[in-house]
Amino acid sequence: MAKYITFRFLSLLPLLFAVSVVSFSLAVIGEKVNGSIAVQKCAEDTSPTCVATIEKNLGIDKPLRHRFVSWFSDALQGDLGISNQTNGPVSELLLEGFWPTFSIVGLSLVLGVSLGIAVGIFSGTKPGGARDTVTSVLSTSFLATPSYVIGIFLSFLIATKLGWVNPTRYTPTEDGYFEWFKSIILPAASLALPTMAIIQRQLRSSMASALQSRYVLAARARGVSRNALVAKHALPNAMIPTLTVIGIRVAASIGITLVVERVFGLNGLGVILSDAVTNNDIPVIQGAMLLVATLVLLVNLLIDIAYGFLNPKVRLENG
Amino acid sequence: MQSFIRKPLAVASSIWIFLLLVAFVRPSILATHATTFSDTTFAFDKPSSQHFFGRGQVGEDLYSFAVYGGQNAVRSILIAVGIGALVGVPLGLISAWAGGRIDRATMWLVDLLFSIPVIMLAIAIVAILGSGITSAMVGIGFAMITRFARITRAAALAEKEELYIDAAKITGLSSFTTMRRYIFPNLIPTLVVQVAILSSIVILIGTGLSAIGVGAERDDADWGAMILRASENSLSEGYWLFFPACLPLLLTIVSLNLLGDALRDSYVPSGSVTSLTSTRRTAKTTTADLDVIDRAALFSVASLSVEFPTAKKQSPKKVLHDITFSVKKGEVLGVVGESGSGKSITMLASAGLLPAPGQITQGSTYFDGRDLTTATEKQWQKIRGNDIGYIFQEPIASLNPALTVGNQLIEPLLVHTDLTKKEARAKAEELLAEVRIPDPASRMKQYPHEFSGGMAQRVGIAMALACEPKLLIADEPTTALDVTVQGQILDLLSDIQTRRDMAIIFVTHDLGVIAEIADQVIVMYAGQVVEQASAENIFSSPTHPYTQALLATMPQNHSGDVDKPLTVIEGTVPSQTSIDAGCQFAPRCTYVQEQCTVTLPTLTLVGGSTVACLRAEELQSEVVNLTVSSTEKVTQ
Amino acid sequence: MLELDNLHVRYTPTKKLLSPAAKPVKALNGVSFSLGPGQTMGLVGESGSGKSTLAKAILKLTDVHSGAINFEGQDVTQLNRKDSLSFRKNVQGVLQDPYSSLNPLHDVGVIVGDPITRHLGIKRRDTRNQRVRELLTLVGLSADFLERKPHQLSGGQRQRVSIARALAVEPKLLIADEATSALDVSIQSQIINLLKKIQQEKQLALLFIAHDLEVVKHIATDVGVMYLGYLVELGKTETLYSEPTHPYTKMLLASIPVPNPKQQEKRKALRQSFINAEPPSPSNLPMGCPFANRCPVAMDICKKEMPDPTVTANGFSRCHLHTSGPKLDGETVVDFIKKQAHT
Ligand SMILES: Nc1ncnc2c1ncn2[C@@H]1O[C@H](COP(=O)(O)OP(=O)(O)O)[C@@H](O)[C@H]1O
Ligand code: SF4
Ligand code: SF4
Ligand SMILES: [Mg+2]
Repeated sequence: MAKYITFRFLSLLPLLFAVSVVSFSLAVIGEKVNGSIAVQKCAEDTSPTCVATIEKNLGIDKPLRHRFVSWFSDALQGDLGISNQTNGPVSELLLEGFWPTFSIVGLSLVLGVSLGIAVGIFSGTKPGGARDTVTSVLSTSFLATPSYVIGIFLSFLIATKLGWVNPTRYTPTEDGYFEWFKSIILPAASLALPTMAIIQRQLRSSMASALQSRYVLAARARGVSRNALVAKHALPNAMIPTLTVIGIRVAASIGITLVVERVFGLNGLGVILSDAVTNNDIPVIQGAMLLVATLVLLVNLLIDIAYGFLNPKVRLENG
Repeated sequence: MQSFIRKPLAVASSIWIFLLLVAFVRPSILATHATTFSDTTFAFDKPSSQHFFGRGQVGEDLYSFAVYGGQNAVRSILIAVGIGALVGVPLGLISAWAGGRIDRATMWLVDLLFSIPVIMLAIAIVAILGSGITSAMVGIGFAMITRFARITRAAALAEKEELYIDAAKITGLSSFTTMRRYIFPNLIPTLVVQVAILSSIVILIGTGLSAIGVGAERDDADWGAMILRASENSLSEGYWLFFPACLPLLLTIVSLNLLGDALRDSYVPSGSVTSLTSTRRTAKTTTADLDVIDRAALFSVASLSVEFPTAKKQSPKKVLHDITFSVKKGEVLGVVGESGSGKSITMLASAGLLPAPGQITQGSTYFDGRDLTTATEKQWQKIRGNDIGYIFQEPIASLNPALTVGNQLIEPLLVHTDLTKKEARAKAEELLAEVRIPDPASRMKQYPHEFSGGMAQRVGIAMALACEPKLLIADEPTTALDVTVQGQILDLLSDIQTRRDMAIIFVTHDLGVIAEIADQVIVMYAGQVVEQASAENIFSSPTHPYTQALLATMPQNHSGDVDKPLTVIEGTVPSQTSIDAGCQFAPRCTYVQEQCTVTLPTLTLVGGSTVACLRAEELQSEVVNLTVSSTEKVTQ
Repeated sequence: MLELDNLHVRYTPTKKLLSPAAKPVKALNGVSFSLGPGQTMGLVGESGSGKSTLAKAILKLTDVHSGAINFEGQDVTQLNRKDSLSFRKNVQGVLQDPYSSLNPLHDVGVIVGDPITRHLGIKRRDTRNQRVRELLTLVGLSADFLERKPHQLSGGQRQRVSIARALAVEPKLLIADEATSALDVSIQSQIINLLKKIQQEKQLALLFIAHDLEVVKHIATDVGVMYLGYLVELGKTETLYSEPTHPYTKMLLASIPVPNPKQQEKRKALRQSFINAEPPSPSNLPMGCPFANRCPVAMDICKKEMPDPTVTANGFSRCHLHTSGPKLDGETVVDFIKKQAHT
């Protein structure tokens, strides 16, 4: 297993490098399309040295190769450049938005995945039954509803009508875990409901097919009880395709939070990014892309490792 | 397609999508006002008969905006799904077809892009190309490429494994033609379903982007932009403002998903999901059954009939009809018949394992003096694995791939005995040694995929024998194995059988195996027992025409010159039991007479055998003994 | 007509980054034989012995590691595109699984008609269909099967369609890879009779692969026995069954159960004289004879040296019981050992 994990971890490195290249090329393509920042900043300034001076200050007059090397080595040290808009370091800006976004996604995944698995087992062990029908209808409706629409509904019902919690700002954990929880529970729930539905649906169908397999029949023929058939025999096998779905959902959740945050007016990455787009603040977008992709790749790594635990074939063949 | 039309939800979804297309082609048909219509004095008017969805910030008609928003929605799908499919599908096809380096490189790139969330990618592209729905959609389209490429590749790879692709190559098709004429058409169902599902994702994301101001312009007729405007005013004017955009958005996404599901079901005849346990027996022991029950026997099944309900309102498919048999202590009962004759279903039903939706319509089971006819699943759990062991045809598929062999092997011991885990492990190792698996201790830690078929079947046997059952049901335990391995398994079983004085029901389609192992034999055809006799009688004086034909058709029994064609049974095995049309074997029987197609023969004692044939007595007195003469010729 | 010369095929697992290169699976190890027009060769062996790989190699469905496959004097492994097409016309196959070897989307008319268009250039629907009907009649199906889809056919009928497809282009060599293994005994005999009849009528060369020796006996003029990628024995059918020379052939023959309890008892005793052991892995073959761990008469030399093919009374055999060479003064090992024992 250790060898497998090392292998997986090492194969992450070229991917991370490639993600950096993609992020870096964003700026380059942006320059090609819109002209460099210097050109934009000097739109009003007609002095002939303006562009050259700014370019020299920002170091963007050098050849691309050099620029990439210095950008990349800076990025490795956590320096993602200067925001065009705030003139502050991009990394600080992103870090500020990172915690709210990360908290929402994290909480939504914890809720969505655990509920999804529970409901999936609940409905998958008796397909076609009444409880299966009820959960199927519910999950189909959650599945089709965009998180931000759920968010609108929740903020109407829980925040405005009932006034239970009213998140408008992210409260960091330093101000108390309960406050933190209150500030993110609605957006997290908005994301978690579709997550739950997706996982429930996948697990239900893979559970049903695992329960119809030869090995479950064989286990039944040994006198294994119903609960053990489900928990010990069917579940580990049914979780294998479900893990893949969870992995995909993690990436999607990170994307969709950007929108959901806006619905609740939370100051996460979503707000920072949409401001950056309006102001054509490429360094911020570049940095955000690198951050988000790294996060997704790391989560996928964890999923792969879990996959290796569940699937002995994968584990044994790789180390 | 019919199943598609029968689904009301699918029809409703199609109607909605049709309306959306109308809104795209000619919105003015559906809209009541132009998008330019405005009057700030009536801003935020509630819905009315003139303005179904009320009026917005500048007094615009929100219903008409919703209709025009549909136009934007369809355009988004066309751009994003278009880019995704046009680039992604060929990419996936090429990757799957080329394999090797090209495949690995392409998939590496695709996975790389896949790690950037769609929304992130779209935001980046918008930042470069400038905002607007088109650049947002180009961004989403980029992301869709990876989705299409992955799905196409996976489906194409699965397709490539199919033998008919090899068959196509043999007939001289070039790679390109094979891809175009064989693989691609077979992918279309999958792709159509994906188009529906990915379209819903495109709408979801596109609207979301516009709702945060990255996408459509703020004042556009676009559902996302409408949500953005609503969110700016909802606190002061009320949440109803969200309704005009959210309603069509939700309907569109739900419709696309439902359509996707319905299309998938109409392409893939739905493998109806069945439940774990079979339906309760509808039958109780009848007095008639009590007469046929053999009380001296260890295990006895009387008048067992099984049906499978069919789709639609047709009559159920009869699979077993009036099966009666019994096994004595320490005896080996051979069950023989071609595939589909009902051997497996008989055994499963007798052990309370009949798969749903199968139904036992009549019959009773006695085991060791107990009436199990109405035993519950809980009661069966105590018997199976304990008093009755079961071995299956596919040895590897019968082991759980995710658990070690040892973990599964100790299961019956833990369930049925008081042994601790440690004791059970020790006992399991002994069992593995008993079934002649070398190095049991390390084998226990291995997973099923590390076992050969023969070794896995030994594990199956060890597991079935763990609690020293009185009866072992073995359903074609050697069919999937090589003849050489079959020999080893047969030796093993008969050795254990004599040592433990255990009864075995041995199912096979090979009369040669029956000759080696069975004391008593039943021959099954089309869900019925057609002959029952001692092994000796079956081979020395087979009475039922089917038994005779089965023996005659075996290449080993081919008499005379090798150049003479093999004896055959013309026709095919019926796919279901039809007891109304007389003898089931009549269409293939050489001795068929008119009465055969009218009267259903029942088992009667003729000489030393019980036979279900109307002409059994005549046939037995005639000397139709093909076999005795021919088997003598088999060289040693 | 068909000549295999020292054919080797290997399956190399894709190398994974960081992990040591996995050993290749040696699926065929120096197989040589020839097959003439009108001749039927049967090929038998346990699963994994390389029978299907051999069929795939001849049908150009898998890459050859070394050696040559000559068809009518041309090396099949080196064909250019044009010759490739004419090779396809001459060599056809019927594959194992009747359920997946027909495209579920095409009807029988297209399945059988497609190769006719490609190789015989017949494009007109009615002439093509006329030809398809003739073929269907030839394989014992009525003409109204033309419009049926594979899922409407039984296993036996599907295999008949596969045969019709193979015969459509009038090949000279037909390769049937386990063409009857998935079928019931009563249907199996029908297909064997059909293949045999067609082979004789058309004077085809037929390579008939099966794991069931009894079936092969009734169709083949010559039989080859394969074990772990080696062709261990080859001989005329009559003599191979009555006087097998290779211990593995003997073991296979002893393992077929006879449908007669008394005779089976004797055969069972014979079968039990062989050693009950797992064959070695094809990716890790021993230096000597791969059968040594199961062979009741294995000698010391067997563990050290792989025996070369040696001519026997009815063909050849790869077993040290029959090898002879300069080292042994032209004697078989057995005779040599006997003589040693006497002196
Ligand atoms: N789940 C099922 N639904 C409908 N028919 C079935 C099902 N399982 C088996 N059958 C039918 O029952 C009959 C007997 O099958 P089976 O017991 O598997 O035969 P055997 O074991 O002799 O090959 C066959 O016609 C088969 O098609
Ligand atoms: S009843 Fe008639 S058709 Fe049936 S097996 Fe007997 S003779 Fe043949
Ligand atoms: S070479 Fe030796 S081990 Fe191999 S089959 Fe012949 S006698 Fe047996
Ligand atoms: Mg069966």
